Amino acid sequence: MSNSRRNFLRELAGSVRDVTAAAQPTAPRAPEPEPEPLEDTRLERYSRQLVLPEWSEAAQEALARASVLVLGAGALGSPVAMYLAGAGVGRLGIVDDDDVELSNLHRQLLHFTPDLGVPKAHSAAAKLGFLNPEVVVEPYQVRLDAANAAGLIEGADLVVDCSDSFETRYAVNAACCAARIPLVEGGVLGMSGLVMAIRPGEGACYRCAFPAPPPDAPSCATAGVLGPAAGVIGSLQALEALKLLTGVGEPLTGAFLQCDLATLAFLRVSVQRRSDCPDCGGAYA
Amino acid sequence: MTRTLDITDLTCPMTWVKTKLELERMAPGEALDVRCREGEALENVPRSAREAGHAVSVEGTTIRIVRA
Repeated sequence: MSNSRRNFLRELAGSVRDVTAAAQPTAPRAPEPEPEPLEDTRLERYSRQLVLPEWSEAAQEALARASVLVLGAGALGSPVAMYLAGAGVGRLGIVDDDDVELSNLHRQLLHFTPDLGVPKAHSAAAKLGFLNPEVVVEPYQVRLDAANAAGLIEGADLVVDCSDSFETRYAVNAACCAARIPLVEGGVLGMSGLVMAIRPGEGACYRCAFPAPPPDAPSCATAGVLGPAAGVIGSLQALEALKLLTGVGEPLTGAFLQCDLATLAFLRVSVQRRSDCPDCGGAYA
Repeated sequence: MTRTLDITDLTCPMTWVKTKLELERMAPGEALDVRCREGEALENVPRSAREAGHAVSVEGTTIRIVRA
């Protein structure tokens, strides 16, 4: 076990004790349950996905070996990171340079009122550790940009973009295309959202589908967003991530899903690779 | 050679989880004898195994599954 993992687990154990003490200040300490064999505990944790006919032990092992980078620990990143941690992804990197604010809490499920002012990457890592201590969670309190993108995504088997800016989307798309790392894109604004799975070199990338950002795109702060609307898109991103990591199901590659969350009209739009795409066009010709 | 699996101490969904994973590790045509308790497991494991396409026969509380 590496030092960082050992320290992480030690911190986690400490924080679990603190939370338990705070929640039950006068309750007598329950006797420690006999630890079950690791194998059976793991099987039980993942049993409801293991019983799926489409799922298998091989799929579970593929997840355990996988390293996933989640960009953003907000409205999309919360369900993405929670579902991936719950499903048993081996390593989760959480990239976010913001602190938790009161206006985040209606939609960002990983953060709670006592977390106000705490860096989101660390707040998220603590909750994910409670959810599944088997997962190694690495918080990165930075913002991905064109300069650091290649370094941040290096070593990842998959990147899930849960950021809220077009600048970040294009930077991560270019970096993932260059490193041939699969990417799940997502975005939500007002009552509409979008999801897209990308396997660089095998279909359209994000820039093939959207060569330029929309002019005067409003931000989440000015357009507003309902929590569950973001939750739907984040959940779809998590689902696409699990498909890409395990080979189970059919990921949404070569297309994007446009979601009108006001009417629940979902439109699957096929997109072709562009030979002149600056991100993926020349790379695999 | 017939493999054996004892799931008498387990409850749903672990009864089928253990059986399904054992079947995944076997070659097509291999047989697995699953020992279980009366009740839920004896009802559900044969049904799940049949739904997964395997050949199933039950004798008492032993379920024989031949992997598809």
